[in-house]
Amino acid sequence: MTGRLGTLERIESALPDRTVVVEAMGKTLGLSRAKLSLFRKVHGLQTLRLDPGLSLVDLVLSAARGVVTGLADPLRVRYVIHARAIHQVAPAGTDIAREVRDALGLGHAEAFAVTQQNCASGLGAIEVAAALLAGGDPADRALVLTGEKPFCPQVQLVPNTAIMGEAAAACLVAAEGTGHPVLSLVSRTLGEYADLISLPAEEAARFGKAYAPTLADVIRQAVAEAGLSLGDIDLIIPHNVNLMSWRQTIAELDIPADRVFLDNIARYSHCFTSDVFVNYTTLRDDGRLAEGRHYLMAGVGAGATFSAAVLTYRGAR
Amino acid sequence: MDNTAVVESVETALTDVLEREVSGLTAEQRLFEDLHLDSTSVMEMLMFLEDRLGIVIDPETLDMDDFQTVGTLTAYLQRLLGAGE
Repeated sequence: MTGRLGTLERIESALPDRTVVVEAMGKTLGLSRAKLSLFRKVHGLQTLRLDPGLSLVDLVLSAARGVVTGLADPLRVRYVIHARAIHQVAPAGTDIAREVRDALGLGHAEAFAVTQQNCASGLGAIEVAAALLAGGDPADRALVLTGEKPFCPQVQLVPNTAIMGEAAAACLVAAEGTGHPVLSLVSRTLGEYADLISLPAEEAARFGKAYAPTLADVIRQAVAEAGLSLGDIDLIIPHNVNLMSWRQTIAELDIPADRVFLDNIARYSHCFTSDVFVNYTTLRDDGRLAEGRHYLMAGVGAGATFSAAVLTYRGAR
Repeated sequence: MDNTAVVESVETALTDVLEREVSGLTAEQRLFEDLHLDSTSVMEMLMFLEDRLGIVIDPETLDMDDFQTVGTLTAYLQRLLGAGE
């Protein structure tokens, strides 16, 4: 993307308290011993957060309130954007983006969902928010929300790739201001994989082969468009799809493995569009983000969209 | 372990992973091009074999050259079996 990319003023995330071990998910999903070992030992999964008693609206609100509470002027929030991977998450006639907006007391804002980039929709929504805010009143803000629940087996499992967990995040986007500036945002969609997780075996194998080189290329492009080199990126803040995909991508990038933050894969697994924001808040809260340094968020959505954004961290706020 | 027994274990593993009967493997058959495995199904097969053969596989130190053909795979498994003796 060229032009104004906005700044990220506040990012918060939330996870259900209830922890489930991956072995229990193996039973629920009917995984063979070999498949369970694949997820546990090769993909690096240990636990997930899942709470069937927590509604989707409450899950998203738990993160959103962390950003909205204390805002000097909530009326300046002009857009509430729910970025999610699953297109239909509520009965017909129920609009989750509007329900969350209203519960936050932001009824004046325009609310809508962004879904077509699947698990890369969170970064896609940042791009949409920046585009909406560009050229407007600099006091205006957009609230990007993520968060969804793996409500049926078809959503709980991406075969051989991921077991989905629950998390939510909220990100307040401004056109300018003192937030963390987004220096570049690159998104590349390979439409030939539009059958998502229903690809025929040979196409799935082709996608598997293309995955790491494409993601590495998108990351390099985002770094270049930010006017930086890979060495300038303190940490890659990734989606949590699995360790194996990131091992391959790290090899493609030819960077040390510790330059990609992978600790949350074992803790939370892949939480749809929320991963990069959850990982950001973990790093920030652990004091691992340094003022003035550059970080790259990267995610991939089935379908298949590869996205990467470079930002400069401006310190705690 | 006798190489025929190792190949039989690979056939059992591939039958499980690919969810179709796999038998009569030859050393020259290529895992990716001929048997249509991908890197994930190779790993799943290795997890199956770990269980069945009592070997220990470290996903971080694999050399993909060991997974070119049935022959290179069985040679890799024989090295692990030898290391465990």
